Parts: sequence; C-alpha cells; structure tokens
Amino acid sequence: MSVRTVARKDLADAGRSKSLWAVTLLVLFVTAGITALVGTTSDESTVQVFQLAFQLAVLTLPIVALVLAKGAITGERESGSLRVLLSLPPSRYDVLLGKFLGRTALMLVATLVGGVATAMVVVTTLGGGVELLVPFVGSLGLMTVAFVAVGVGISAASATDGRANAFAVGAYMLLVALWNLVQAGIRAGATELGLVEAGSQPAWLEFLGVFPPNRAAVAAYESAVAGGRVFAADPFASVWFPVAILFAWIVVPVAFGYLRFRDADIA
Amino acid sequence: MAAIEIRDLTKRFGDVTAVDGLDLTVESGEVFGFLGPNGAGKSTTINVLLDFVAPTTGSASMLGLDVADDRTELHRRIGVVPENYGLYDRLSGRRHVELAVDLKDASDDPDALLDRVGLSPADRDRPAGEYSTGMSQRLALAVALVGSPELLILDEPTGGLDPNGARELRELIVAENDRGATVFFSSHILEQVEAVADRVGILQDGRLAAVDSIEHLRQNLDGGARVSLRVDREPERVPSDLPNVRDVDVGDGVVEGTCLEPDAKLAFIDRVREAATVTDVRIEESSLEDMFASYTAEDVDAERAEPAASAEGQP
Repeated sequence: MSVRTVARKDLADAGRSKSLWAVTLLVLFVTAGITALVGTTSDESTVQVFQLAFQLAVLTLPIVALVLAKGAITGERESGSLRVLLSLPPSRYDVLLGKFLGRTALMLVATLVGGVATAMVVVTTLGGGVELLVPFVGSLGLMTVAFVAVGVGISAASATDGRANAFAVGAYMLLVALWNLVQAGIRAGATELGLVEAGSQPAWLEFLGVFPPNRAAVAAYESAVAGGRVFAADPFASVWFPVAILFAWIVVPVAFGYLRFRDADIA
Repeated sequence: MAAIEIRDLTKRFGDVTAVDGLDLTVESGEVFGFLGPNGAGKSTTINVLLDFVAPTTGSASMLGLDVADDRTELHRRIGVVPENYGLYDRLSGRRHVELAVDLKDASDDPDALLDRVGLSPADRDRPAGEYSTGMSQRLALAVALVGSPELLILDEPTGGLDPNGARELRELIVAENDRGATVFFSSHILEQVEAVADRVGILQDGRLAAVDSIEHLRQNLDGGARVSLRVDREPERVPSDLPNVRDVDVGDGVVEGTCLEPDAKLAFIDRVREAATVTDVRIEESSLEDMFASYTAEDVDAERAEPAASAEGQP
C-alpha cells in the first residue's frame, strides 16, 4: 500500500521533471536518428542495422537510467522531503522500493518508446525484422531496469547528491566505458599469476565478458537472435544465463542500498 | 499512558555526545514545550523519536509503541512537522496533503485541512516549489494534521512564520489540544512556549536542566527585579547590607540593585533615599529570557551582570 503510493508519487514528481524528458528525447533522437541514417544510406541487412541500433542503445541508455535514478533518495534527503515522507507511515524499505518502482516505470516507458520507435524506423526503411522487436526491446528493457537498480542502490547508499553523482559516473565508467580495459587487466593479471594459460578462455573469464548489465543485454539479444536458444548446453550461448545476470543486477544493488539506507542517520 | 516516554537515552556521533542519558515523560493530553539553545540535543532527541537516527543506548516509546519497532502503526497515529523538512517542488500543496491522507489511510478532506492552516485555494494548486517559507510552513502543518493525530510533534514550528502566522499556530495548538491531542513542540523562542505550554523541559548539553510548568520555573528562580534609581548625587556608601538585595552598583548618577522579593524593592528605595534624593525609578522584572539564560548559562552571574552594565550607560 505504502510502496504503491510512494511509487505513484514519485512517478508524478519525477515525471514532471523537464530535464529528464529532454535527456530521454535526446537519446531517443540520437539512437533512432542514427539508425535511420544508417538504414537508409547503407546497404546493411536488417539484422545488422538492428545490431548497430542495439550497440548504440547499450551505450546511451545506461546514462539515462543512472541519471534518472541516482537522485532518487539523495535528492529527497537533501531537500528534506525524505523527513516528511519518513515521518508518515512508510518505512525506509517502503520508500526505497517505491522509489525503485517509480523510476523503473518511468525508465521502462522511455525505453519502450525509444526501442519501439527505433525498431519501427528499421522495419519501415528496410522491411522485415519484426520478429527482432521482442528480443530488442526486451533485452534493452531489462538492462535499463538493471541500471535503474544500480542508480537507486547508489542513491540509497550515499549521504549526499554529490557522492551519488560520483558513484554513478564511476559505475558508468567501470561497467560500460572501461570494461574492456578492466577485463584485459584482469586477464593479464591472472596470466601473470599463472591462474590462466595464455590464449585459453576459462569459464570465469568468459563470465567477466558478460558480467556488466550492458554486456549481459548484448549476450541475451545475440543469443535470442542467433537461434532463440533459451536453454542451450552452453550457458554463454543461451538466453537464460545473461537474463539471470540481469536479474541479479536488479536485486543485488537495491538490496545493498537498502542495507546502507536502513542504518543511515537521516539528520 | 504517557504520550512520550524516553528512558536513559544516549546518542553519540563519533566523539560528540548529543544526548546524554536523557529521561523524559510527556503525559497524555498536555502541551509540552521542549526548550534549549542550538546544539543542546533537541533535534537529536526528536530524530530518535521519529526513528531518523538510532539511539546509542536507551529507549524511547510514544503512545506505548516503540519508536523503531512499531514505527508504521505509530506514524499512522502521530502528526509531525520535522525540522529542516522539504516539500516536493513539482507537486501542488493539495497533492501533498492527498499523499499524506493516502499514506495514513485517513479520510480527511484536504481542502478542509488547508482551510484550517490558512493556505488559500489559489495557492494550494500551485507547485510547492513556488511557496514562500510561511506558505511552506502552513502546508507542512496541514500534512501533520492529517488523520487527527493523537500526538503532534512540531520541531521549531514557528520558524518562517510572521507574527500573525505564529498567533494562528498557537490557536491551532490549543484547538488540537482541546480535541484531545498531546502536543510536543520544540522552540528556542520562549514567548511562543510560554503562551501555550502546560509544561516545559529545558535541555542543556544533552541533559534535562529542568522540567516544570512555566510558573513553577519562574518561582523557583531567584531572578527578582532589577531596580534602577536615578539620584541627584551618588551616595558615598553603597547600601549592600539589605537582605534580598544583590548586585548593587553605583555609577553615572544611578544606583541599581537586584531585588529578590517585592518588599525588598521598597526597602532598597528607602535606603537610597536616606543618602540621596531619588529623581526617577525604573524597575525591570526578570524576563523569561533571563530565566532561560540562568538555566542554560554556565555562569549565571555573568549573564545577569550584562544588563546591569548596559543600564548604567543610559541617560
């Protein structure tokens, strides 16, 4: 009851933020626009153009999700409205969950609109490919929810907006922008220590490759498009495994954030 | 049953002890003023009551419910204007009240509550981000009144209110108290407290320096009155041997003394007239501020010496 009311309130409040919609429209324009440009000017196949649009989306949507979510708790903490909300019946658990649901709903609307618009551009300019729509929008949707969870978790664990901003930027850099480097560094270190033979690819290194939500989304999309194998013998070639990683990214950051938020002094 | 029961409450932030073994009971149905200078621990105490911070040791309950374990039921039955509260800038005033009604499972009419706190119909539809401090304060009060709470907790509720608003707030407190609500409010403005509080507690350095009715506190204080006598010539001998007259000063054609009893004033005037002709008389009763200062100041006499020193400079 409280959770739903808080979520509705958050939707109404954050949904009125003009900057949020400006960012969303910008991302939508860039993703759908570039896709349209490539689709009409090159002779790539529908599947390839979808692939390109997906790559664009996994770079840009995490930013939108983090920007949308990082102030969920710290914003209210700094303005003092959290003190009003917590003096009413909702518990910190209710507030956190309500905030997460509210921001998730907003992000899903933006992703759905953007994803469907982009897909429509591809389908109308190149024809065919409608069957790609579900894995396209589904993978992106799960990924954006995972980044909303990361952002809300960061917000719940941070005492100030400034700190939440820093952690959100750090999360984006680490998980999206620099993950290739992180992965290469870990591989080099493991090889140096003799844990991995040069050139080999043990399962845990392969796991590192799909660990961030954006990578997991790519893996899920590619597995779905390649053969639609939900449960293949190789987890890295099936849909369920990256989807499970995405669900873990949704649950763990929110749970971690809750533990920090539960014990925080709201002074 | 007590409305608020605080037992041996201690809260430390690192090395700083904000509240130090506080015991306090607020009876059901009373208006209790919680006084103290900034940094005395008032906010921390209220933050513990509202479960914003966890106590280091000790316990607190309100309406017989533990402030942490039973918070959901408890917060349905209390109304709060927290310190440093904020509003949702993009939501209207009415929407704020509706939110509180929803969250408390109450059935109040938001407009009736906004009428009571004096937020005009035009203002309630505007986003709260456009509100002045006074309007925000009225809205926060309306939110606190949702669900006819059994206990109202108001942390520095007069901040941001103009004198008219402060008077309306006092009337509101009285009306809520008549309805049966216990009112617990903190303030550093004494006249606000004096006007409505049945009892006051004065907090100093995280401990309760005094708890009593205003009248009793005043009686228990030997504050007395400061009597200033303008004389045509200063007496050579300072009349300092009278009982119940203290802190006698002579200078700039004025003889002053603090008289602890009404009789002492006359005796003091008579004694001075034996030595000189009195041309003017001024008497200042000890104010609540003096009383407050005497409870909260480390050195009471140093506090009292100041007005005497300034009085000497007057023509």
